[in-house]
Amino acid sequence: MLSRVMLGRLASLGLFVAIVLGWEALARGARVSALVLPAPSVIVEALWSGLRSGYFWPHLLHTGTELVLGLALGCATGFLGGIVLGESAFLRRVLFPYVLVSQVVPKLALAPLFIVWFGFGMTSTVVITALICFFPLMENTLTGLQQVEPRKLELFRMLGATPMQTLLRLKIPSGLPVILAGFRVAVVLALVGAVVGEFIGGSKGLGALIIASQAMMDTPLMFAVLLLITVLGLAMYQLAIGLERLLLWPHLKETTKE
Amino acid sequence: MRRVSYSFPAYPQVVNQVDWQIARGEVHSLVGRSGCGKTTLLKLAAGLLLPDAGTVTVDGQALRKPGSQLGFVFQAPTLLEWKTVLDNVLLPVTLQRKPLPADRARADELLALMGLSDLGRRFPTELSGGQQSRVAIARALLLAPSLLLLDEPFAALDAITREELQDDFLRICRLAQTTVFFVTHDISEAVYLADRVAVMADGKITDDLAVNLPWPRGRELRYGAPFNAVCAQVRRAMDGGGTC
Repeated sequence: MLSRVMLGRLASLGLFVAIVLGWEALARGARVSALVLPAPSVIVEALWSGLRSGYFWPHLLHTGTELVLGLALGCATGFLGGIVLGESAFLRRVLFPYVLVSQVVPKLALAPLFIVWFGFGMTSTVVITALICFFPLMENTLTGLQQVEPRKLELFRMLGATPMQTLLRLKIPSGLPVILAGFRVAVVLALVGAVVGEFIGGSKGLGALIIASQAMMDTPLMFAVLLLITVLGLAMYQLAIGLERLLLWPHLKETTKE
Repeated sequence: MRRVSYSFPAYPQVVNQVDWQIARGEVHSLVGRSGCGKTTLLKLAAGLLLPDAGTVTVDGQALRKPGSQLGFVFQAPTLLEWKTVLDNVLLPVTLQRKPLPADRARADELLALMGLSDLGRRFPTELSGGQQSRVAIARALLLAPSLLLLDEPFAALDAITREELQDDFLRICRLAQTTVFFVTHDISEAVYLADRVAVMADGKITDDLAVNLPWPRGRELRYGAPFNAVCAQVRRAMDGGGTC
């Protein structure tokens, strides 16, 4: 007998195969123009030739670099910002309205401005990506720090811990699950930031490649790039999950045993 | 404690002019209904709260803030899930300095006394509720406090686990000559553990009963007639004290 888990996975895989086959049949049978909906086989061919000729690699590397730099910058400032706002009620009252307003402004709408400030190319995209990553991490760090059990705070007071010790040894470790959940959201948003940043201000990278393929009316290439972006996103997400498992394994101990 | 009072904003006096003394090495317990100020009184004794009026004195020194001469065990074990059991026990030391081999030996010894010698490398979530309470007690005893304060530490445990823990707890405290102030809502627990029982109602200590039962105490005593007589006495005192 197959377990329910296995059955679910098989069904999921079966659905994928059905969709691809249906798509292929539709693209061929209904004579839809390859400009509108290229068949999967055509897309795979475009993807393969791009990978083999080495055409995609510099772009993939470019986007990947922007993604990692923007993510690192945004998460570092978001984390520190969350700690500062979490620790000081005064600064929270003073700064939070500004932080909120800055986050309600759609960052992508600021992209043209950043191009004026930082020029075309990598810097603008990294700044946009960092701005997008900043908020989820700051928000979650703030929440995580404030969710500490009051009893544990009393315990640390009882043991004569300094505010710094309480922060480093109690608040950050106990808020870690919430902080890392914010990181996961940031990873996904970072990809959006990097790609859309390249739409507007890039001559290199996967986003720029999509714009270029649109101009060339090369729809199979566009789909191939979309596929690459998806794989990049999945890989980053899996990395984030791996990091979470690594850092949280004592927290997860009980659940993994069952 | 002398004439200690405390009130929260917008509430009547939670602790009202309480006088209480514990001689060195004695175990005293405090009973009362829920919400009558027991926990607040204990936090005053710990220095976690400062009294509005009156003074709390430990070893002749007025208490201004919590310190290492005091051990505190909370209602729930309050362990850090991301640290091993041994590191949890060592926490009072690691917050002050780097733990020495002697500290580790002391922590191992306490865990052994608590019957947890093999579990030092485990994480708290892998332990049962009773074992977690034992870890919390071991942690409170690490710095050999002169006064140990406990806030219903066994309230969430089943009856048999609780009895075992009470016996182990008494044995260790008698061994170290630790002074103990034990807050509970369980009358038999209060009587079993203590040399003296204080009854609290409406923020005041309404009765003060000596428990003249022999030491060491064991299972026969727990279910014997003299023990039940004392329990009944405490119960009557609680009835007389009004409601909370």
